[in-house]
Amino acid sequence: MQEFLDGLIAQGYLAAVPAEIVYALGIVVAAAIVIFGFVLVVAGVTTFIERRVWARIQSRVGPNRVGPQGTLQWLADGIKLLMKEDLIPAAADPRLFKLAPYVVTMGFVAAFVVVPFSGALVVADLNVGILYLTAVTSLVVVGILMAGWASNNKWSLIGGIRAAAQIISYEIPAALSIFPIVLIAGTLSMQGIIRQQGWFPTDWFVFHSPFTFMAFFILFTALLAEGNRTPFDLPEAESELVAGFVTEYTGSRYLFFFLVEWGNLYIISAVLVTLYLGGWQVPPITDHPVLRNLLQFLTFFLKSYLGVVIAMWIRATLPRIRVDQLMTTCWKYLVPLAFFNFLGTAVWVVIWPQGSRVVEYLMTALGFGVLAYFFHRVAFHLRRSRAELLLSPFA
Amino acid sequence: MSLAGFEVEVEQVGRNGLETEEMTLNMGPQHPSTHGVLRFVVKADGEVMREAIPDVGYLHRSIEKIAEKVGYHGFMPYTDRVDYVAAMFCNQGWAMVCEKLAGIEVPKRGEYCRVIAAEFNRIASHLLSIGTMVLDIGAITPFFHAFREREKINDLLEELCGARLTYNYMRIGGVAWDLPPGFVEKASAFLDRFEPLIDEYNDLISLNKIYVGRCANVAVISAEDAINYNLVGPNLRASGVRYDVRRDEPYSVYPEIEFDVPVGTGEIGCVGDSFARYWVRIQEIRESIKILRQCFKQMPDGPVIAKVPRKFKPPAGDAYVRVESARGDMGWYAVSDGTEYPYRCKVRTGSFAAMSIIDKVSRGLMLADLVTVIASLDIVAPEVDR
Amino acid sequence: MATILAGYLRNIFEAAATTFEGMAVTCSHFIRKPVTVQYPDRTDMRVQDTLPYRYRGILEVDLEICTGCLACERACPIDCIVIDAVKDKQTKAMMLHRFDIDIAKCMFCGLCSEPCPTGAIHHTPEFEGADYSLESLVRRFVKEPVAAYKPKKVEDDPAIVPILERGMRYIDEFAAPEGKPGEERKTEAA
Repeated sequence: MQEFLDGLIAQGYLAAVPAEIVYALGIVVAAAIVIFGFVLVVAGVTTFIERRVWARIQSRVGPNRVGPQGTLQWLADGIKLLMKEDLIPAAADPRLFKLAPYVVTMGFVAAFVVVPFSGALVVADLNVGILYLTAVTSLVVVGILMAGWASNNKWSLIGGIRAAAQIISYEIPAALSIFPIVLIAGTLSMQGIIRQQGWFPTDWFVFHSPFTFMAFFILFTALLAEGNRTPFDLPEAESELVAGFVTEYTGSRYLFFFLVEWGNLYIISAVLVTLYLGGWQVPPITDHPVLRNLLQFLTFFLKSYLGVVIAMWIRATLPRIRVDQLMTTCWKYLVPLAFFNFLGTAVWVVIWPQGSRVVEYLMTALGFGVLAYFFHRVAFHLRRSRAELLLSPFA
Repeated sequence: MSLAGFEVEVEQVGRNGLETEEMTLNMGPQHPSTHGVLRFVVKADGEVMREAIPDVGYLHRSIEKIAEKVGYHGFMPYTDRVDYVAAMFCNQGWAMVCEKLAGIEVPKRGEYCRVIAAEFNRIASHLLSIGTMVLDIGAITPFFHAFREREKINDLLEELCGARLTYNYMRIGGVAWDLPPGFVEKASAFLDRFEPLIDEYNDLISLNKIYVGRCANVAVISAEDAINYNLVGPNLRASGVRYDVRRDEPYSVYPEIEFDVPVGTGEIGCVGDSFARYWVRIQEIRESIKILRQCFKQMPDGPVIAKVPRKFKPPAGDAYVRVESARGDMGWYAVSDGTEYPYRCKVRTGSFAAMSIIDKVSRGLMLADLVTVIASLDIVAPEVDR
Repeated sequence: MATILAGYLRNIFEAAATTFEGMAVTCSHFIRKPVTVQYPDRTDMRVQDTLPYRYRGILEVDLEICTGCLACERACPIDCIVIDAVKDKQTKAMMLHRFDIDIAKCMFCGLCSEPCPTGAIHHTPEFEGADYSLESLVRRFVKEPVAAYKPKKVEDDPAIVPILERGMRYIDEFAAPEGKPGEERKTEAA
């Protein structure tokens, strides 16, 4: 992004305008493209894909009427929500009530500034990239608390407080699981971290050492909790609190919360892919910059979308954890383990500054071994249930 | 350290000069997880509950009074609605109480038909119970898997009697229809397909650490409390009391059928907790499959209904029968004054008694546990309110 | 100390193992065929044709074989059947002036079709009865007064025979108590 604008200025196109204004406008335009062209669409389509994925897991079909195979369902839902009556409860605090969705969306959208879609496609490659991401996603807590409090509804309040406690607590293991990567890569910048990895799985940071392997799963768990996803979706526990902190929200205000929840899945996945799974690294097939960037973009998008599908799959499988068990998990299990990984990685980096190829190959073999065992169990379940198969995703 | 259950010293209100207030929450009649229209007024100190006062009556339909108007034969479809989840048992209860009043004996094949229908309904009811319990705790897929199997049982019962939920299958003196041709083959095939799916269900959710952590050691009801509060059925058996009406006060052809009565053992969690109640139901599904297979083998030929006059006028008197419904011992009491219409009909259901123990057992539990308790006691609103 | 550590590690391992197993089960569902029947437009055949014979759908009356015995009206617990059967003074025949079934009240219990001697009133597999007006839910089967059917030992009217056969087949499904002819049922092969 920076290089692109520098190139434009050097070629004399925007000579009349001071450089800072060019940069500022450039970032605004890029951010707008990312938000309206990418984020909203992805968040909307994710709702549709989630429903189809859940439906197949639950032996049913899912929405398949609106548009070809139901692909316009999310548009229909969005338009429906926009057309609903805008209710503000009489006893609610009107200013906080109206502000909460915007605060939450701010925290969510601002995270897209540092997401590296490909080698050259990033709105701003901050040199404190991952730290900025962690900081800005915490804005969501403020918004949720505001929503819970301003609704003047005891159930919403409980949902909001639970969410605050949950998100704040799980920041710790999340940050602690990001540190090993920073130690290994030596930089906080997202592009820098990706550039330190390679395209082949053994070069990914997840297989770098057993400590990073464990840290990957801890980060995944902690980020799921950050995003209020099952098994940590107590703040919006449908069966207990009706809809938690969003109970009183209707129409377009609800749409904001809705989009943030599903878009957050993408951020979670993007963070994991950037830090642990090699980001947009592709094999050096082509030298043509546009093709290479396109390939990198596709790789990154597919990897992060796989993470999104896995998060949906986990939501379909696991039940909800109770709030005290959630705190126990965080403070008694994840935090000590994350510290252990952090110290282990620190020692590892001292002993093998460039990483140990043997261990990397071993860990890759272990990873793929676990995957193979997983599919073996899947085959066992299919055999035992003697169910009729349908391989096509279209039903 | 364990993820199962929690031990916390509940803070006294006003400690350290910090003044806190109890919240009064209304888990109202419209709520996604109370099973039907039930209302609880919950006084909670933050997340911990102090009291949970039930408020019933939202589904009261005066079914017992209607019996006095429609007569003995005409009341049979209404009994379906007393507990529409396990309607066959209600049919059976009413048929048995009328037969006891008039001294009618049901032919053997009729009794076997009743047991087959009842046990299928027991499996269906338990599937609904465990499905909704895991749904309330947050797992969304096992609910659909349980209902997929329940739909197949509904298909079988639809072939048998023409309806999927309010069967009206049994009549005073027997059953209305004999088994249709091909039913036994289809039913046996279904049972063969279904049995491994129970294991799959257990792999998916029953033995999941999170699920066990939510249910184990939550709302432990001791055997003494269970008996004092009139709990019946799987709720009672999970607390360790091995009482099953089919075994201890046998009726119909149950003496000729071999089956076990599963009791809570405390292997996972402890005896009498929510997980035990859930696990007892899963084991009862397996027992019902056993009973069904034996019935298919042992069924004799013959008529399925005894001769009962159209104007049914039992001699004056009263009778009380018990059936082991899916929710426990369901008692049917009828008073006859010699005319075509009963003088009084009263139903005693397991869910109504189970409502009374919720307040006692939920003191000190968290809000999330209230849902677990209600679901594990398998309370259905139509049974509570009739 | 060692047992605490062992318990701690066992908790972690159990959490991972049960989650793994659960995810294997749900993953195996990804390639299974959904059981949804996409009613009403994407079914193989009309759902009404797949329903079993005994299905208790909306009621229908074959007036050609209705004897005017009023057994169904008496049996209905909700009083949703209203029949006007009047003995005509001149012809001494039973005339049916009205046969209304209010399907808004009907609970599809089947108690009316059981005592019918000819099977005139029976359930059909039809279940799509929703309509916009309450009046359309009162099914009036008598357009103009007709004579009730007089059952004969052997029916010989060719118009009535198929209807009567269908009706008798319907009521033969119901169980008959001992002593009535044709009630012995063979057991199915277990």
